[in-house]
Amino acid sequence: MAAAESSPLTTHVLNTGDGVPAARMALSLHRLDSQLMIWNMLSVGTTNKDGRCAGLVSGGALSPGMYKLRFETGSYWESLGQTSFYPYVEVVFTISAQEQSFHLPLLMTRFSYSTYRGS
Amino acid sequence: MAGPASPLTTHVLNIAMGVPGSNMAINLYRQDPSTNTWSLITTGTTNADGRCPGLITKETFTSGVYRLRFETAQYWESMGETCFYPYVEIAFTINDPGQKYHVPLLLSRFSYSTYRGS
Repeated sequence: MAAAESSPLTTHVLNTGDGVPAARMALSLHRLDSQLMIWNMLSVGTTNKDGRCAGLVSGGALSPGMYKLRFETGSYWESLGQTSFYPYVEVVFTISAQEQSFHLPLLMTRFSYSTYRGS
Repeated sequence: MAGPASPLTTHVLNIAMGVPGSNMAINLYRQDPSTNTWSLITTGTTNADGRCPGLITKETFTSGVYRLRFETAQYWESMGETCFYPYVEIAFTINDPGQKYHVPLLLSRFSYSTYRGS
């Protein structure tokens, strides 16, 4: 079984409106090609019942650059039969040092969200 | 000379320093539902209170998906600091343009949050 916990990028999505992990939310990781100025999708995944998504990054460290983690929050709320103010959430961040690991959680309700750089 | 207030407002707060996020460049875009392309509606800069009046007029505020883009790294760089987020984009859906919508950004160098306010 792959050591998913060693991914240099992890996330955790929490539905703080209902006080539960946001399970079965689709998300995707993208990297900016700074020459062409286009986003390349690196991986897609779905959160598990704990709101986590293993194996976002395979094969070692994330190289320096600009990345985007996109959360399909609108679809998530729809699957619960609810609307949301945000059709999706995209968190764009910069990685400058090769050796670090990053934890990018998303805490959200139908009408709010927050994120931070964790460990 | 101020006309009617914009039905869409924002407020940038630098919660790390406990001050308004002033002089931050922001852009407002609207998505064309038939082509899914984005059009720039307004370019602005937050004032000393972290606000940006006049984002949109009642007449041009139609239903649809909008995006507010905040130039966060540029803002922190102007104070000699780096920011984890090169920019912050908040996409939101307006179903009832007759209402008022407040989309604030609470920001530090390594975190941010937003909510639908009034």
